[in-house]
Amino acid sequence: MSTPAFQRPPRLGVVLVVVAAIMMLTPMLWVLILSFKDNAALMADTSSAFHPPWTLANFRNILGEGQVFTWLGNSVIVSLSMTAGVLVLSSLAGYAFARLDFPGRRLLFVLVLLGLAIPEQAVIIGRHQMFSAVSMHNTYTALVLPGLSMPFGVFLMTQYFRAMPKELDEAARLDGASRLTIFWRILLPLSIPAQATLGIFTFLHAWNDYWWPLISATDKEMLTLTVGIAATQMNFAQAEGLGFLMAQAVFAGLPTLLVYLVFQKYIVRAVAGAAGQ
Amino acid sequence: MRRWLALLALALLAAGCGQKDDRTRLVIQRFFGACQAEYGAVTDPGQAEGECGIITAMINQFEQANPDLRVVENTVFWPGYDQLTAQLAANGAPDLVTMHSSAIPDYEARGLLEPLDELLAAVGIHPDQFTEAARAGVTVDGHIMGLPIDVWAPLWHVNMNLFQQAGLVEDGKPVLPTSTEQFHAHAAQFRERTGKPYFIQVTSKDFAGPMRLFYAWMMQQGAPPFRDARHANFDSPEARRALEFMTELYRRGHSARNLDYAGAVSAFLKGEGGILVDGTWMVGQFDAAAKDATSPLYQGYAVRPFPFLFQGRQVSLVDGHNWVMPRNPRRTEAQREAAQRFLAYFAANDFQWARTGHFPAYRAIIDSPEWQSLPHREDIAIITRIGEPLPRFVRRQSPIEFIVGEEAAAAFTGVKPVERALADMQRRANEILQSF
Repeated sequence: MSTPAFQRPPRLGVVLVVVAAIMMLTPMLWVLILSFKDNAALMADTSSAFHPPWTLANFRNILGEGQVFTWLGNSVIVSLSMTAGVLVLSSLAGYAFARLDFPGRRLLFVLVLLGLAIPEQAVIIGRHQMFSAVSMHNTYTALVLPGLSMPFGVFLMTQYFRAMPKELDEAARLDGASRLTIFWRILLPLSIPAQATLGIFTFLHAWNDYWWPLISATDKEMLTLTVGIAATQMNFAQAEGLGFLMAQAVFAGLPTLLVYLVFQKYIVRAVAGAAGQ
Repeated sequence: MRRWLALLALALLAAGCGQKDDRTRLVIQRFFGACQAEYGAVTDPGQAEGECGIITAMINQFEQANPDLRVVENTVFWPGYDQLTAQLAANGAPDLVTMHSSAIPDYEARGLLEPLDELLAAVGIHPDQFTEAARAGVTVDGHIMGLPIDVWAPLWHVNMNLFQQAGLVEDGKPVLPTSTEQFHAHAAQFRERTGKPYFIQVTSKDFAGPMRLFYAWMMQQGAPPFRDARHANFDSPEARRALEFMTELYRRGHSARNLDYAGAVSAFLKGEGGILVDGTWMVGQFDAAAKDATSPLYQGYAVRPFPFLFQGRQVSLVDGHNWVMPRNPRRTEAQREAAQRFLAYFAANDFQWARTGHFPAYRAIIDSPEWQSLPHREDIAIITRIGEPLPRFVRRQSPIEFIVGEEAAAAFTGVKPVERALADMQRRANEILQSF
């Protein structure tokens, strides 16, 4: 069997990709450069960002805010808990919808999919009242629980499990494996790429979430990083504190960058897999 | 792994063994940003600068002087009303909250604020100590719904160096127009001699600027922006005259274009226009630029109230910041007493807050030599007498302000004809007013 010869990508394609990459990176670089400039200098003229002196004062001010590491910790706890919860629930539900035959399966699956069509805005008041009724605001539970119902996760895992050959289950059953064993020992390890995609997606969604934490976590000890750093902004931050504002964006974005760097192999594989299907 | 678990258990044990804090908990929620890194340890407000610095130092000083209280300072993203509404819905509102005068009627109408008449009177704070504008901002149906901490107004910030070049300075003071015709004449002269626009205003993204201009110029003609609690007055001839003037000044090229708020401030600091319409909070920043030899504003900054271009009433649109006490069925008497102590402290130290550039809420401070000696204050002090907030019966001022600014901007930038913008403004505002 011969190895396929390396095909040079078309020159036009490379140019387009480079242009697109520059367009994507320019705003991020702009944010990064501004974050190293003094606020007063930027208020007078943003083009001063291209000239020295640069400063770390904006980052020092973020770290000097006594609560910032509490908020960081809250975000880590909420994001990791939500990610773990979504992975467990979506995998189990996906397996059930894909592999088990039970009454009302189709209807239930349709109901779950309907969740994709309901925007958060439509349910947030009712949800807030529910958590108020049980005095649960300003708790990690309140921050994590609503995020666990992720119809997209159930859909993704269902489709992934459906794509796996049923012969795997049949062979295992002949060897005496129970349904749980089949799920745990055979199908779950094979679904790692989908789990990684869903995990990264959920983590980023939880990390960047703003609205629900804004109205549920109102004690400063319970704020997540997104809400906490927004609260530290002055009224006219875009004019008077632009450097600080941009430093906040960089600071808040660093963990997601870290997630990408650590898991980039899975992300690329997941995207490539999606493109290939 | 075991070692880590042991350490974690020890840490939890240590946290659990912490001394119980029996002090009364006072929760203060405010906007104005956080600046703990710079002012977290400052307990002398005189050593602090800017809104964030001064309020942080004031709260620190109060906490230091009241060791029997545990002050929890919640800083919220401006203006913080989403969080407050959520807290009220969950029966967990803080003890004191910063609130704009324009937002008070909305919360008051829904019974979400406690009247403070008795609470303030008990510590010697009476409404007659407030300035007219401050009192009007917190009074609803004869009750005092908050402790005013300042009054703020949109102002005309003037680049005197460019005004000098344009021949619009007399006796060291800016010559400002007294009619719409004179406005156009000054603007044309300014453009001819400096090559720059006379007027810098926010024309995109942020609609507060156009709204303030429109309201101010309606009110100067003696026309209230609202007829009653359920009807706006944007279909009046005065509204039309105000918007036509705004459109005309833009059409003739007297205004800088395509600027958001940050862009407008930056353009003024770079000397790209003669007048910037912005609030009291910028006086300190521009005054500092006027002392910087490298700034185009060096030794050339003045500030004035809106000139009276229409021959009607001498009036200036104002708003203000206040401390209010949201209803909370769980609030104890001890917490109420702690809040009362804080309000008394803030009233006694309002001069420090007035250094931010906002007008003090108390007559005694306005009359004091120390306030009058602050930079530029005597040039704008008249606003404390002629300043007027929107009527208290207009409950939903904030969403209506957005509509007014959006439609006004659509008209003067040419997106909509004036007639249609006013009709849309009237219809949309009435829909909100009549939704109660």
